[in-house]
Amino acid sequence: MNYGCFLERMHNVQDTYGYIPETEIDKIARDFNIPRAKVYGTIKFYSMFHTEPTGKYIIRICDSLSCHINSSHQLLETIKTYLGLEDGQTTKDKLFTLEVVECLGYCGEGPVMMVNEHVYIHVNESMALEILKKCV
Amino acid sequence: MEETLFLKKDMKKELSNYEFSNLKKALKLGREKVIDIIKQSGLKGRGGAGFPTGLKWELAYQEEADKKYIICNGDEGEPGTFKDRYLLENNPVKVLEGILIVAYAIGADEGYCYIRGEYLGPINIFEKVINEAEATGILGENILDSGFNFNLYLVKGAGAYVCGDETSLINSIEGKRGRSRIKPPYPIAKGLFDKPTVVNNVETLVSAVEIINQGLDKYLELGTENSRGTKLVCLSGDVNQPGVYEVEFGQVTLGEIIEQFGKGIRNYVPLKFLVPGGISTQVLTPAELNVPYTYEGIASAGSALGSGAVIVVDEGHDLVDLMLNVSRFFMDETCGTCFPCREGNRQVYHMLKEGKEGFTEKDVELIKNVGTTIHLAARCGLGQTSLNFIGSVFDKFGDELKLKGGEHYVTSKY
Repeated sequence: MNYGCFLERMHNVQDTYGYIPETEIDKIARDFNIPRAKVYGTIKFYSMFHTEPTGKYIIRICDSLSCHINSSHQLLETIKTYLGLEDGQTTKDKLFTLEVVECLGYCGEGPVMMVNEHVYIHVNESMALEILKKCV
Repeated sequence: MEETLFLKKDMKKELSNYEFSNLKKALKLGREKVIDIIKQSGLKGRGGAGFPTGLKWELAYQEEADKKYIICNGDEGEPGTFKDRYLLENNPVKVLEGILIVAYAIGADEGYCYIRGEYLGPINIFEKVINEAEATGILGENILDSGFNFNLYLVKGAGAYVCGDETSLINSIEGKRGRSRIKPPYPIAKGLFDKPTVVNNVETLVSAVEIINQGLDKYLELGTENSRGTKLVCLSGDVNQPGVYEVEFGQVTLGEIIEQFGKGIRNYVPLKFLVPGGISTQVLTPAELNVPYTYEGIASAGSALGSGAVIVVDEGHDLVDLMLNVSRFFMDETCGTCFPCREGNRQVYHMLKEGKEGFTEKDVELIKNVGTTIHLAARCGLGQTSLNFIGSVFDKFGDELKLKGGEHYVTSKY
């Protein structure tokens, strides 16, 4: 099998399960004829892949320089307090996963917040809470 | 509440209206002539490194191989940069035309467009473009009855800044960790799947299309001798009107970019510094605002044009806080292959954190030494440039950051 479609396979698995489960890692290792450790190492290298189940909604907050200047850290603190989560954690009810990410490419319109596939720009603290409440 | 919606453009209509006149022109001119035009245009890679594009194409063209590849680099991760997203969303067909022109020029029959995983909008749009182009015969066998065959695949990144480096990107497409390779061999000789490969940034490809479109003579009238043409500037930070602006090289200064395009600094707070080319470049102070926006102009001020991300910072911010932010970025994003980059960036982050209340001469010397070591020892651009921001802040605002009699020194005046 062409090793070149490896990333696509990972994306497909993640789209199906929400994360990349152990059983799939075994299958991928068999299909591509590479050690499990190598599959695992590659998955872990990329920040968008998860090996643990994630929440229904993945909240990505950009805190890179342009957004940081626009007070993204305050926005982040608000969300952390509201959800009771730290970076990378998932709520007990498996509804939200919080991720602080590096640059989402909306530097001119920060702070930026991504909820699953939706990108919200010029987000302030009250807007962020409104978005989160809508998810529930 | 503002939510950006993925552009629901009708790609079928867009493609059927687009005539690919520049591609037709290129096919008529022939490979060598196309390469010659790009070489003479003086176009430099717009991704950040600024390597002469024509030379890259020529070297790849001269390589003898049974297969060659072209990669469109849409892995735009530099904080402050968003021009490629803009082009992929608003001008995807022109990006496709650019890819086809390079592929034809170097003799590649297969190509990849690598777009960062977070760019769901551009991915969505470009996927539609490829599907439609395949259906209408712009991709595939015998394109425009010229005997030129070309297939294009879209690869979705998965969140790694270092994949913007061409060798890391190649590893990523090959399904490996996106770690940079030792150069030489350069990708133009041994790139994707060990075949000659040209990696071009999205903006570079669109610029090449425009050169074919405008004609060499007209293009040579734009810009200066060492900085030809125009550049997309991504303006962000403390300005009234951030955004993507096209400027002609040499026609504006950095100060004019802030004033004319950015409509000045927000809330009338004085400027502290600006970053002229993304957070991997050195900061420039208000005293350097009159440098012309050209590769050589910004280099003469001691920084680099980089990817064209101008981040404006006013005096209302804490310098150490900003340095910690940049340092955390590089600590998180280093691929970990080169030990000095992996450990050095981590140590600098902790040194900055510990010295939050001021730095002694010794601290500064140590941080700068780590910076020099990483610069000399790192394999790729990420490592080499990772301490530019922090080093230049220490150079220019050292007095403000000094530890004064053990007392906390406030870096912010507002």
